[in-house]
Amino acid sequence: MTYISTIGTYLPRLRLSRSGMAAALGWLGGSAAGGKGARSLAFWDEDSITMGVEAARDCLSHPDVDPSAIRQLVFASTTPVFHEPQHASFLHAALRLQDDCLTQDSGGTVRCGLLALHQALEQAAPALVVAADMPVTLAASAAEARSGDGAAAVLVGTGQPLLNYLGGVSIAAPLIDRYQAVGYAEGVEWEERWLREEGYMRLMPQAIAAALHRCGLPADAIDCVVMPCPIAGCAPAVLKASGLHKARLASTLALETGDTGSGHALLMLAHALDGMKAGDTILLAQLGQGATVLIMQVQEAIAAHKTNLPAQLENGIAEDNYLKLVMFRGQLAWDRGLRGRTSVNEALSTSYRYHETLLGFVGGRCRETGQVQFPPSRLAASGTGYYLDTLDAYPLADIGGKVATFTADRLAFSRHPPNCYGLVDFNGGGRLMMDFTDPDAASLESDDPVRFVFRIKDLDERTGFRRYFWKAVAARTAPVSPSH
Amino acid sequence: MASGIKDRVAVLSMGCSRFGERWNVGQEELMVEAYSEALDRAGIDPKQIEAAWYSSHYDDIGAGKAGTPMAQALRLPDIGVTRVENFCAGGTEAFRGAVYAVASGAADIALAMGVEKLKDTGFAGLPSASRGTFAPMYLPTHTNPGNFAQLAQSYAARHQIARPDLKRAMAHTSVKSHANAVDHPNAHLRKALTMDQVLNAPMVADPLGLFDCCPVSDGAACAIVTTPDIARALGRVPMVTIKAIQLVTSNGWEAQQSGWDGSYFHTARIAAKRAYHEAGISDPRTAIGLAELHDCFSITELVALEDLGLCDEGQAWRHMLDGWFDRDGRIPCQVDGGLKCFGHPVGASGLRMLYECWLQLAGQAGGRQLATPHFALAHNLGGGPAQNVCSVALLGTV
Repeated sequence: MTYISTIGTYLPRLRLSRSGMAAALGWLGGSAAGGKGARSLAFWDEDSITMGVEAARDCLSHPDVDPSAIRQLVFASTTPVFHEPQHASFLHAALRLQDDCLTQDSGGTVRCGLLALHQALEQAAPALVVAADMPVTLAASAAEARSGDGAAAVLVGTGQPLLNYLGGVSIAAPLIDRYQAVGYAEGVEWEERWLREEGYMRLMPQAIAAALHRCGLPADAIDCVVMPCPIAGCAPAVLKASGLHKARLASTLALETGDTGSGHALLMLAHALDGMKAGDTILLAQLGQGATVLIMQVQEAIAAHKTNLPAQLENGIAEDNYLKLVMFRGQLAWDRGLRGRTSVNEALSTSYRYHETLLGFVGGRCRETGQVQFPPSRLAASGTGYYLDTLDAYPLADIGGKVATFTADRLAFSRHPPNCYGLVDFNGGGRLMMDFTDPDAASLESDDPVRFVFRIKDLDERTGFRRYFWKAVAARTAPVSPSH
Repeated sequence: MASGIKDRVAVLSMGCSRFGERWNVGQEELMVEAYSEALDRAGIDPKQIEAAWYSSHYDDIGAGKAGTPMAQALRLPDIGVTRVENFCAGGTEAFRGAVYAVASGAADIALAMGVEKLKDTGFAGLPSASRGTFAPMYLPTHTNPGNFAQLAQSYAARHQIARPDLKRAMAHTSVKSHANAVDHPNAHLRKALTMDQVLNAPMVADPLGLFDCCPVSDGAACAIVTTPDIARALGRVPMVTIKAIQLVTSNGWEAQQSGWDGSYFHTARIAAKRAYHEAGISDPRTAIGLAELHDCFSITELVALEDLGLCDEGQAWRHMLDGWFDRDGRIPCQVDGGLKCFGHPVGASGLRMLYECWLQLAGQAGGRQLATPHFALAHNLGGGPAQNVCSVALLGTV
């Protein structure tokens, strides 16, 4: 029997209030005029890839997890960053997984995360499934207010069983309630009432019935239903139509994060696990040009299970300025000044030559002196000593450090001034001048503990090219325990 | 240890263009301005120049690469021109090349020129310098105010200097340099400032406000160096010779290991020690008659004073406020206004410092002339506190 052993999540720090959105857009009336709560908002240096990396790191930070066992990595997203290259290859490098690991991207439907999970659960190879979305929607659309940015990751088939897979189905139907054509920046959504009647009330009960049948379970065996559903009042109706009378509905986190798309079912699952006990049966479902329904049973490991999601939910930074959303997403041209008009030298051969250093954040440790350094070099950085080829690979991503020197620079170009950076001393030796990121970066001071996050390093708007590196954030936010 | 270059090379002449926002001239005109002054003062025929070194940092907004822009601008007499680039310390580096050429006997008369045309950039402050392909993939997008703000914070933390004291000491540093430049016809900024103006200026990178930062300027400066025999024969009295030039370049220790606390310049301390040794100076505080420090930021001047041994560690801020480094203080600093007010055309600044040192030692500084300096120090820094090129040059009279 296959199983899920851990679930990781990631939420960006900003929470854009819907009242703030209404203040900017409410004059248009309609869907722009109201709404409660807040939606999660990716910072300017975050995208599906970076959020996916962070969710995966969260997933792999569990002490029982051995990342070297992973043989398959699937990255699912409806908001890919590139047509090419493959997104999973960035995650694979950032997570420093084994070379003999099948990497694959999946997309096309908001259900792609569950589809990838379904596939992973139906086979034997230990797999990591990561889903991340950062939807770009039309300004003032209902989707803009309803959506959020975030990611989730699940580890399948290795480690301690947390959720045993009892069975599931994926059914296909060309019910196209939303689309985004190639070459178009924003998606378009069709009428909600139609989606409710033909999608949630017809397709979903079919899929649920098929899944129960496959597992040989009666409807009242289900204790909890995890199903993203953007339509008010619709989810209870689906349960009723499916005969799931005993089941409670997991929170959609609509007020806390909004619908985070391809990773949302998994995010909701992580959230729902908090109230679960061994033996509980969960039905995980998501609609999207068909439907996927997976049924799982909670195992004893739940007693010791911990998720960082509550901390991630708590550590949000309230934001009322709607313009940050459209500017971070490049939907509004703004004056960056001549200093911000720089091109990025792609130097793809350089980045490949040092990909372990750059994407994996791997430094070196000198066998002779014990000194750590970044980046590694043939001659160790030890002052005036001569140590040739004495460095062993030394991964730094999970090491953390503390701020040695710091500046909030108002002259340097930044998409969220001031530009914050400084020397970070790694715990255990070595240092690096690093970018500090997140909206509260300017509050960092000398000696503050920091941890490292995978972010967009450079972005060239003229070519669409972007590259990634690690940045420092305050360690007090959503701790990630060292993994491997 | 090598015997050094003390008194083996003399400064025959120097020249310096007006610094500032020179919208109507390019590199070529700036170089000619400095060169023609130096030739007028030298009393030699240009054909007597046997080798030349040329410092320019930004080739993309400047004149381009190689030595050809200088050879063509000055119509040099079919000699070798070597372009050097060492961040903001390039000026002294060009000077070092010319001095070594004479010291080695390879040339009797050599020319060093530094020039930068910065105001074709389109924005204030220095443009980003190229860092190759690899470093930009992991280093932050930084500016110099950001880098030196970290120095200020670390310096204050190391010596437990209260923020108002640090701000006032930095402000005095700038006020002093502004006062020095008011009457200098070739200085970029010739306006006196009050302490309040400096203290209330907009923040650029905390704790550095606008007036803690030097301007970026267009300008050129040059030196013609020769053997003491030739200088003597051409009637140079007092003769100004090179007592020492020492250059130290960061090897990554400060930036990659945690032993350095960010409050001082590792390179400057070593360069100063070696320079004093080369020049035979045992007590720089009494020997040095004036200092031209690389005051790209007010904090840089304060920290350099300590690194160069011109005052005790942790005390520069106090002595600055006490007036030790004013025009009439114990060791006058930036008597021409320094980078802060004379201006900072990157590749030319080292030679501009040496120009003022030479004028003062040769007794040709006019209204700025100090009493009787015997040694003058030029401290030229390129890069940031964590990774830099630092040179200390000492000129003196014979």
